[in-house]
Amino acid sequence: MASMSSGDESLRLCMFDLRRGQTEGQELEKILFFYPADLDFSTQLSVIGLSEGLITFTRLFSPEAACEVIEAERHSHVFYEAEPDIWMVMVVEKNKETGAIWRIDALRRVLKEVHSLFVMFHGSIRALIEKEPTGGLTRSLLYPFITDYLSTFQIWSLSEDCCCEFFVGKKLQLPTFRETLRERGTVQMLTLARDTAVEVQSLVQVLDSCAGSLRCHSMILFQDLLVSTTLSADDTVDLFTFAVMRLTSKALSSDTSSWSYLRKGPGSSEISSRSNLAPVGSIDSLHSRNGNNMHHVIRPLQNDKWTKGKDGFLITDIWGLETGGSPDSAIPTIWLQQTQERMYLLAYQHKSLTLLLLMPTNAIVNGDLSISAVKQQVIEDASLRILKIEENISRGWGGENAYHIKGYRYLVVDNDTKVSRSSPSGKVTTLAKESLLALNKLREEVDSEKSRAKGQEKDMEICIRAKNNVWVIARVTRGKELYMALEKGSDTLLDTTDAVGRFSNRYCSGAFLMD
Amino acid sequence: MATSDSRSSPSSSDTEFADPNPSSDPETNSERVQSQLESMNLSQPSEVSDGSHTEFSGGGDDNDDEVASANGNEGGVSNGGLLREGVAGTSGGEVLLRAENPVEMEAGEEPPSPTSSGYDGERGSSGGATSTYKADDGSEDEIREANVDGDTASQHEAAWLPGKRHVDEDDASTSWRKRKKHFFILSNSGKPIYSRYGDEHKLAGFSATLQAIISFVENGGDRVNLVKAGNHQVVFLVKGPIYLVCISCTDETYEYLRGQLDLLYGQMILILTKSIDRCFEKNAKFDMTPLLGGTDAVFSSLVHSFSWNPATFLHAYTCLPLPYALRQATGTILQEVCASGVLFSLLMCRHKVVSLAGAQKASLHPDDLLLLSNFVMSSESFRTSESFSPICLPRYNAQAFLHAYVHFFDDDTYVILLTTRSDAFHHLKDCRVRLEAVLLKSNILSVVQRSIAEGGMRVEDVPIDRRRRSSTTNQEQDSPGPDISVGTGGPFGLWHFMYRSIYLDQYISSEFSPPVTSHRQQKSLYRAYQKLYASMHVKGLGPHKTQYRRDENYTLLCWVTPDFELYAAFDPLADKAMAIKICNQVCQRVKDVENEVFLQGASPFSW
Repeated sequence: MASMSSGDESLRLCMFDLRRGQTEGQELEKILFFYPADLDFSTQLSVIGLSEGLITFTRLFSPEAACEVIEAERHSHVFYEAEPDIWMVMVVEKNKETGAIWRIDALRRVLKEVHSLFVMFHGSIRALIEKEPTGGLTRSLLYPFITDYLSTFQIWSLSEDCCCEFFVGKKLQLPTFRETLRERGTVQMLTLARDTAVEVQSLVQVLDSCAGSLRCHSMILFQDLLVSTTLSADDTVDLFTFAVMRLTSKALSSDTSSWSYLRKGPGSSEISSRSNLAPVGSIDSLHSRNGNNMHHVIRPLQNDKWTKGKDGFLITDIWGLETGGSPDSAIPTIWLQQTQERMYLLAYQHKSLTLLLLMPTNAIVNGDLSISAVKQQVIEDASLRILKIEENISRGWGGENAYHIKGYRYLVVDNDTKVSRSSPSGKVTTLAKESLLALNKLREEVDSEKSRAKGQEKDMEICIRAKNNVWVIARVTRGKELYMALEKGSDTLLDTTDAVGRFSNRYCSGAFLMD
Repeated sequence: MATSDSRSSPSSSDTEFADPNPSSDPETNSERVQSQLESMNLSQPSEVSDGSHTEFSGGGDDNDDEVASANGNEGGVSNGGLLREGVAGTSGGEVLLRAENPVEMEAGEEPPSPTSSGYDGERGSSGGATSTYKADDGSEDEIREANVDGDTASQHEAAWLPGKRHVDEDDASTSWRKRKKHFFILSNSGKPIYSRYGDEHKLAGFSATLQAIISFVENGGDRVNLVKAGNHQVVFLVKGPIYLVCISCTDETYEYLRGQLDLLYGQMILILTKSIDRCFEKNAKFDMTPLLGGTDAVFSSLVHSFSWNPATFLHAYTCLPLPYALRQATGTILQEVCASGVLFSLLMCRHKVVSLAGAQKASLHPDDLLLLSNFVMSSESFRTSESFSPICLPRYNAQAFLHAYVHFFDDDTYVILLTTRSDAFHHLKDCRVRLEAVLLKSNILSVVQRSIAEGGMRVEDVPIDRRRRSSTTNQEQDSPGPDISVGTGGPFGLWHFMYRSIYLDQYISSEFSPPVTSHRQQKSLYRAYQKLYASMHVKGLGPHKTQYRRDENYTLLCWVTPDFELYAAFDPLADKAMAIKICNQVCQRVKDVENEVFLQGASPFSW
């Protein structure tokens, strides 16, 4: 049973601390996380040894930027220095036949995302290690957290073996070239009609002041799209990612649309509970530590743990039961990057509209009282507006294909505001595999040009007509990026330029001026 | 070395204190990498340490015996085996001679210095034809931080000189680590064979580190190709017992850097043949450096060509523009030579082909041609007298030596006759004498000289009004005063183009015109072309059909058709529609003059 995941070499993911375990025999101290957790230690150490060796080696020549990726014949090793000396390395198997073709930057964004989410809930890893130098606490938080996160990539795959075709295996499917028209680490916005925008604005004002003199932050989502936020761009991305993963109406409803697997990993509870054993059973006992003093581990990304209460607020027992112990401890809290403040998180939902309300923890003296007062306030002052806004948006909402533009398959990214918009995934799948591969490759080229340009703004335009006559286009200018695939075989370069120009003028306020 | 240039970089001691990473002790660092690999790799700890901890002292350690015995073998069993087995029908004894007794290599060669073989790598600043390629290799050679934009331009104009520089450096020197592009060749036991910068023997520890990385990944059932860190790429190529590594922060593609390693390997095979592998089979700690003694100039000249010679990434050769009839006439004589039992006969002018011919069914790969001409051009000894030397064409037959008869008619023009027979010297000499008589009679050598002086196609010649010219150069505009204002160049901002004929395996590249005048600009344009080439020829997907690419520096257009590939560079502000039109005219223009710029109908080469 346990061999099921370790036999699968398609993914290894580890986190280690270069400041730990520097003396011989203490190497295991370095490991903060390893997936799969049941892999033998010598293999874990060999992955980390290679990573560490190459970090040191590359610093000889490139002291300012150490190893970012190792490309081997069969695997890609993607590096991310999450915090100073705390590294995450993901090893993925390449396989052309199964479509395991990756864009390194897209994989690095997965590492970035899981780290950002972790920090949002638990604070920085360095701070945790400093608080509890054995690393036991950090590991006990990281293991379930990253495993819960990975379960969002889990898909069911039919076994090839015909004798037991009902036997279904679980597989982690990371973002491949098929998701080249998406950008992780950005938010997707809903475009509002003018009158609705005004209503939303006044709702935001109400929410801001619903805790009296306390400054609150709020974020509003319609389905999986952002309607408004008062947070910084980085904090917005993290909270938005979490909300789409676990809180929105789509995330809560059991029978969701085609890409429900993104949120609901079937059987994730099993995988998590198994890996949960790792820090307690193996590592801690290995370090001959008292494994039983593990306090309650909060698993913020645990699946199926949120429900909608009668009053419209979302309830979870992840942070404990409200009945037991200090009542405030049961309310979810997150860290804001920008202000380094710890905030209570309240979520209210009406149909497709989800409101997130953030209040500083230190400002609430008598937590429970204030929180329920805030809830009361929201229901009294805002519920009517919420009702109306939800109605207005739903009426004008074009559905899943609202942002489909006929003839175009596109992705637009604004790096300053961390906002992206793209063709609906259902439409992207109509592209030929060759077109997606060509675009994926083009994005790789642009990634490397961007990384070379460093802080300087890059201005470039690339139009390629691939073998199958698809035009793949990249346009980078003033912090904005446009990627496009146009499967019109008869178009010339000039036709294509015109088509991109028209798109830019109509949908991007002319941001992507073409020559 | 005699070739050390006056603009040598600050010595390591001068810059040491400026090390941005002072905490890291240089010497322990590379050892640390190994120990990290070692300590973490619980399953196979012995592999990495085996034979890799070579001392810097270079003498007195226990490895000394190993080296000595390996050298002893060279003279006897192992090399004898190499020669007998490796070279069918020919004697490869020259491998040995080259290493130990270079005097016998080329008749009439002056006595070599102890460190040099017949391939005189220390020709000083005497120049010769190769030094006429001016280029800013210095920008790679320079230490990065010292290389502030613009102000070093004068240094870059300095003539490039072959041979190794900065031999005093090793991996502990800050200056060494900051070199923009390193090349290493090492054996699979971690012994250094070649390093572009620094003394190979002092780099033993570093070499062992590279070996450790490669074998560590190999032990995990995989093969490392590339490591990226910031602007740096570490590219690996494993060829049997030979490992090649490039560490570069130049803005070149992985594909091209790997191609460069491949050519570097090919150059080594050209000198030694692939049968060198057997030496490693017999003795894993075999020391190859003596066999390559004195060939520094060959390698440095090849590395230099990576930044000026499009043949290195187009995998095609280029011809000296000549009237059709003259080239045909030359081809006929060369063909006659081949009919007398010669495998290949080539008349070359610098790195360009005047004409060539091959025996039936024998075909010459453009890469072999590149490596061969580089070898001949960069070895001073070939110029001083007629030579008969064993060489191997890696693409033709990597296992066997051929014998090359080389004779320079003047500074630029030379003939290469290749045969499988080691006793053919006198026959080839006779062939050359006959050839020379015909060349003199038909005045071909002076036409060649004139063609060099006139240069190749120019962007200014692309006719807007479709005027047809019979010559490849424009006499009216040849005067030194074409409009030099930035942003002009040829018509509608055409700055440069390259046209590659797929069937002929040949390319034609326009002369550099304003504003692409400085060597820095020329190299930067080549880098842009290399990227474009790599982007068009994506593995598994390509070739793409068309590409338009514009950034701050250029507008680039590329067409790939079944017949030809066109690469054109324009002003970044060039109008797209006009640029397309100009490209069509360039193609038409090349077709108009194809009989003069390409070697046509060389039947043995129709592959």
